[in-house]
Amino acid sequence: MMTSLRARLLAGLLALVALISIAVGLITYERVLAESSVLFDYQLEQMALSLRDQASVAPRIVLPAHAGGTDFVIQIWDRFGTLVYASRPGLSFITHAVLGYANVALAGQRWRVYSLATVEGVIQVAQPWGVRESLAGGAALRVVVPLLLLAPLMAVAAAWIVGHAMGPLRRITAEVQRRDAGSLSPIDPSELPAEISPLIAELNRLLGRLGEAFEAQRAFVADAAHELRSPLTALSLQLQLAERARDAPEREAAHARLHAAVERATHLVAQLLTLARNEPGTPTAMSAVQLDEVVRAAIGDVQPLAQQRGIGVEFAGTPVRVHGDADALRILVRNLLDNAVRYSPEGSVVRCSTGDGALLEVTDLGPGIPPAEYERAFARFYRRVGGTESGSGLGLAIVKAIAERHGARVELGAAAPHGLSVRVHFLRLP
Amino acid sequence: MRVLLVEDDRMIGEAVRTALTRDEHITDWLQDGAAAAAALAASAFDLVLLDLGLPRRDGLAVLKELRGRGDTTPVIIITARDDVASRVTGLDAGADDYLVKPFDLDELAARMRAAMRRVSGRGDAVIEHGGIRLNTVTREVFRGSEQVALSAREYAVLEALLLRPGAVLSRAQLEERLYGWDEAVDSNAVEVYVHSLRRKLGQDAIRTQRGAGYYIPR
Repeated sequence: MMTSLRARLLAGLLALVALISIAVGLITYERVLAESSVLFDYQLEQMALSLRDQASVAPRIVLPAHAGGTDFVIQIWDRFGTLVYASRPGLSFITHAVLGYANVALAGQRWRVYSLATVEGVIQVAQPWGVRESLAGGAALRVVVPLLLLAPLMAVAAAWIVGHAMGPLRRITAEVQRRDAGSLSPIDPSELPAEISPLIAELNRLLGRLGEAFEAQRAFVADAAHELRSPLTALSLQLQLAERARDAPEREAAHARLHAAVERATHLVAQLLTLARNEPGTPTAMSAVQLDEVVRAAIGDVQPLAQQRGIGVEFAGTPVRVHGDADALRILVRNLLDNAVRYSPEGSVVRCSTGDGALLEVTDLGPGIPPAEYERAFARFYRRVGGTESGSGLGLAIVKAIAERHGARVELGAAAPHGLSVRVHFLRLP
Repeated sequence: MRVLLVEDDRMIGEAVRTALTRDEHITDWLQDGAAAAAALAASAFDLVLLDLGLPRRDGLAVLKELRGRGDTTPVIIITARDDVASRVTGLDAGADDYLVKPFDLDELAARMRAAMRRVSGRGDAVIEHGGIRLNTVTREVFRGSEQVALSAREYAVLEALLLRPGAVLSRAQLEERLYGWDEAVDSNAVEVYVHSLRRKLGQDAIRTQRGAGYYIPR
């Protein structure tokens, strides 16, 4: 299969030239044959007529014995059917004589014969068809040969024109070749033929989206690396303190803190992984999910932390079915509850409900988030001021990522008398 | 000496405070930039350990404000921002040193001592004055060739006075160097420490400027 545009264009062009040449040749041949037939027929007739008047002298005309150049054959018959004169002996048309024009095959040749009846007999003038055919063939060749001779020139010209037309493509190729993997700037769309500029425009849009995705990834990795420093610093410091402990109680305290630091680093890594897994565009298997059951499971997940802090988690809700990924939804609810438990004053209650309009709500009695920071609260590594817990700062970012994948909307609000209320509006399933 | 630690990360803050306290420093720990700025405006510290990424107010803004009013208290930035541009910005804003997380506690201690030496205009870790020799690394004190055993707070008072011989330090100024905010201060604690220092180093080692405070003669 030919994939090169240039080769395809060239082949098409040459085939077209060949076809046209053949057609022109054939047409010329036919036209010349027809026109020469009219002329030669007229000549045959005129010759016969002129002979009628001189028939008596004809036998005495001494024609050179079939000299080359005369294709005409003349035969004169008397009224008794005797051959009086034959310009070329050995050929007898009489048996085929029809008055007027006739086509006769004789002696391996096709002949055009004109027979004229006179008082004294019949005059026949004949000419081989080949004369007319070679005339037509010659004319056809004279037309076709120059055309065929021009073909290579046309091919060269076509190659040049096509090559010139492909210039912008070559420029773009070179431009793309020069790029390194990180360069996602748009291709210069100026001076592009109308045929490829939509392709380049689409390509540029794709490059733009890729660039944004790359930038988001890069920012994510940079943020993650930066954020990992804190728990690692804490770990390193606790380890150094443990090494320098002067007595057993000091060492024990250091080990306990070391343990907490390891847990924190582990938690951060787990949260980072969860967030990465819920990036937009992650393929998910969605099915009908009983949201209230997911909430019950998530409450079970945060129970240890809640008990440790003396916080009750209450659930009140009607059964709600949503379309989603059960595991991801459980992570979403767990993160909401985890935040609520972490920021709640000890001994308070975290309320959680599902209900009308596929709504999930989690309310705590903590310090809440100032409304001015609602927007920022969903950013990665956002931490509330005055938080006593060193959280990962990823909880709400994870909640948002999962919610977006489910087409759900997350809304922050103030709870009465104080605290944070998070509402997640899901798409309802019938 | 009295150190202000500004660090919003609870675990890191706790660990550094533990380490500083064990090195006999009086440590006050704050977790946000606004509180740090207020504390720096209100009290005197010998050294500030400053994180940059702070809630409420960025560490750099706190540092610029401090330097803006001509305060030369040594400041060591401790941050996770390790790029050259951040280091340059931090040092240009008036930081004395720049330490990138995670860091080593020994290195932190050494950099703190170095910062203190630069402030007092000395090149080495040993202060020698009037027959008293004080090693800020080993925290050993010698009178002539004889080593003198001092408590942490006695050492702190002596170090404060020795750093600038001739300068008079009030009782309140010395108290600030001895106690963090969360510690109860004995009303006559400074007098007690000065008394015991005189007993160990000689009556003339520390002089009293009546109504003003204490000094070590130039």
